[in-house]
Amino acid sequence: MTTVALLGNPNTGKTTLFNELTDKYAYVGNWTGVTVEKKVGQIRHSHTEVIDLPGVYSLNPITKDESVVTNYLLGNSPDLILNVTNASQLKRNLLLSVEVLELGVPVIITLNMIDDLKRSGHYYNLDTLSSKLGCPVRTTNARNKEGLTELRADLVCEQSEIKPNSPLKLNYPMMVNQAIRQAADSLTKDYKIDAKFAHWIAIQYINHNKVVRKYATIHQLKPLLSQKAYYDAQKFEDQIFETRLSFIENTLTTATEQLQSTKHVALTSKIDKVVTHPILGLPIFVGIFYLMFKLSFDWIGTPLSGYLDGFLSGPVSTWANQFLTQVGALPMLRSLIVNGLIAGVGGVLVFIPQIFVLFACITILEDSGYMSRAALVTDRIMEMIGLNGKAFIPLIIGFGCNVTGIMAARTIEQPKERLITTLISPFMSCSARLPIYSLFVAALFPRHQALIVLSLYFLGIVVALLMAKVYHIIFQAEEHSVFIVELPQYHIPRLDIVWHGTWDKGKGFIKKAGTIIFAGTVLIWLLSNFGVSGYVTQIDQSFAANLGQILLPIFKPMGISTWQPISALLTGVLAKEVISSSMMVLFHTSNQGALIAMIGGSFTTLSAYALLVFILLYIPCFATIGTIKSETGSAKWAAYSVVSGLVISYTLAFLIFQIGSLLM
Amino acid sequence: MNHFMIKQFNGLDTATLQRLHSLGLQVGSDVQAVRFYPFHGPVIIQVDHQRIGIRYQVFKLLTGGDPS
Repeated sequence: MTTVALLGNPNTGKTTLFNELTDKYAYVGNWTGVTVEKKVGQIRHSHTEVIDLPGVYSLNPITKDESVVTNYLLGNSPDLILNVTNASQLKRNLLLSVEVLELGVPVIITLNMIDDLKRSGHYYNLDTLSSKLGCPVRTTNARNKEGLTELRADLVCEQSEIKPNSPLKLNYPMMVNQAIRQAADSLTKDYKIDAKFAHWIAIQYINHNKVVRKYATIHQLKPLLSQKAYYDAQKFEDQIFETRLSFIENTLTTATEQLQSTKHVALTSKIDKVVTHPILGLPIFVGIFYLMFKLSFDWIGTPLSGYLDGFLSGPVSTWANQFLTQVGALPMLRSLIVNGLIAGVGGVLVFIPQIFVLFACITILEDSGYMSRAALVTDRIMEMIGLNGKAFIPLIIGFGCNVTGIMAARTIEQPKERLITTLISPFMSCSARLPIYSLFVAALFPRHQALIVLSLYFLGIVVALLMAKVYHIIFQAEEHSVFIVELPQYHIPRLDIVWHGTWDKGKGFIKKAGTIIFAGTVLIWLLSNFGVSGYVTQIDQSFAANLGQILLPIFKPMGISTWQPISALLTGVLAKEVISSSMMVLFHTSNQGALIAMIGGSFTTLSAYALLVFILLYIPCFATIGTIKSETGSAKWAAYSVVSGLVISYTLAFLIFQIGSLLM
Repeated sequence: MNHFMIKQFNGLDTATLQRLHSLGLQVGSDVQAVRFYPFHGPVIIQVDHQRIGIRYQVFKLLTGGDPS
């Protein structure tokens, strides 16, 4: 088995390349930091394994996801590194390449997005680049599958066939060189570290690489530790940077060739003139989101959901009922399957169209390159609450699923800002909350469905931002926020990438329907069919009813007058989708239409809205609580998110109902 | 268009400095300011065929002069 590690700057098309080369696909996005964990795939019909590492600007990490790469290089030795670069931004891409080449592992550099470079009117002589850098240089354009066959042939080879690279040796200033040599020599001699690796570690240590410095402390590498003060006092870091940059500039100047035709297509600039307009930018951002919701709820998603519901609650349900009666199944089993499972799990499955349309929209925004513009136009607002525009991206991803949103917060540089973003993420209305909104808006706000749902999303954002401000004051976060965002070239979204991205985000939803929602539905069916006296025929005597009735006085002040929604809310902690399937079971209905009529009968518009607000903000689901725990590394914050969610949601729902009642 | 030269990196926090270096910015780099956002919001700059958004304060520090 040959292992190839894919490594490169963000926005170089690394993940697209990975997907083209391997059988399995990873999730692709056109904004910095899409790959937050490393992904592994295999090249078709070969023994070559490819590892897709997160995009990094240098081996000295600033963010959590960037440290994945350095840790990988410290702990593993891939047989080959494929360094993916953005051909039109070679200068800064090579800064990373230099660091990698110094390691001495065989490297192939590919100039990806080569079309963009040609359009800008120049080209590089590949032989010159190759001889200066001391490794093979290829060109590719992963989006059009250009140059992939050749590249694949380079990667599919046995370990023994890979030509070893000798490490790139730059002409650092004499003092730096001497320091590197001394440290490397004694690491090799006294610690039996491989000479190439010792050399690389010495450079990285001197260059103030945080992860390598930690590694040296853990392994007690005295030759480096003892010289730390000297290295820093001499500002070797700056000298290393300058040497590298002048080497790169020199290399690129020698290798540059001018092309005859310069048909510079300034598509990106043209779009950006409008989209990042200082004044129009924000309304456009809101407009794009409104369009996204219109598509999901009014134009495409909801009609499709209607058909699916008609099919599941009609033919499927009737057929199952008849079949079970014919084979003579116990009435209890029949009830479990028809009223419990088909109604409950089916009640969640009917939302697949809406959720997939929403995910497709998010994927298009990511793949086109709009996300980083969104970060830019929202930065001024985010600055007011002590975060920066980059925190907006995890929050938007949180619309899909809070878990992925929280994971995406890893790209935020400041630890305190990352913690704040993690804590406010659950307030973003994830797709799992949609089914229950859809039911209520269909029942009580039939004419303004999209508007009401959008208002909930915005309320979620407002609460999140207000809480962020509060946390910012409490944590006394630093004044300085690191906000540097790259604006990549726009790409016309490719259908298969959009489909892959949508499927990748949405498959979890389907999987959940088969596991946790299935289990939740069975649980709620058991609770609603059994009571203290055993199997009950009257649902009012069931455990579910008892539980709901005990809690009813607490929920009365926010306008809830029946116990069913309360029992449903309890199950919602398993997964938010379960709320609607529980409602289906608890109200004893088997299709959406009947449930909508029941809801319409037991709520007023005001109490329904108060309940929706409560659902928006209350306890995060199990998966989110788990992610908060693992990302913050403390159960305290996970517990805190449960308590704060409850307090905030109850207070708001209470206020909305009480103040609303006075006004109405 | 507004062209500026990067005069200095002093006064930046290490993370910002490191990131700007990684993007290939150095003293003497020619920076074109493509767009300023109102209320001292972020600035879009173009350096070496790449567009980057940075905070206004950072931009002011880098160019060391009055960017208006």
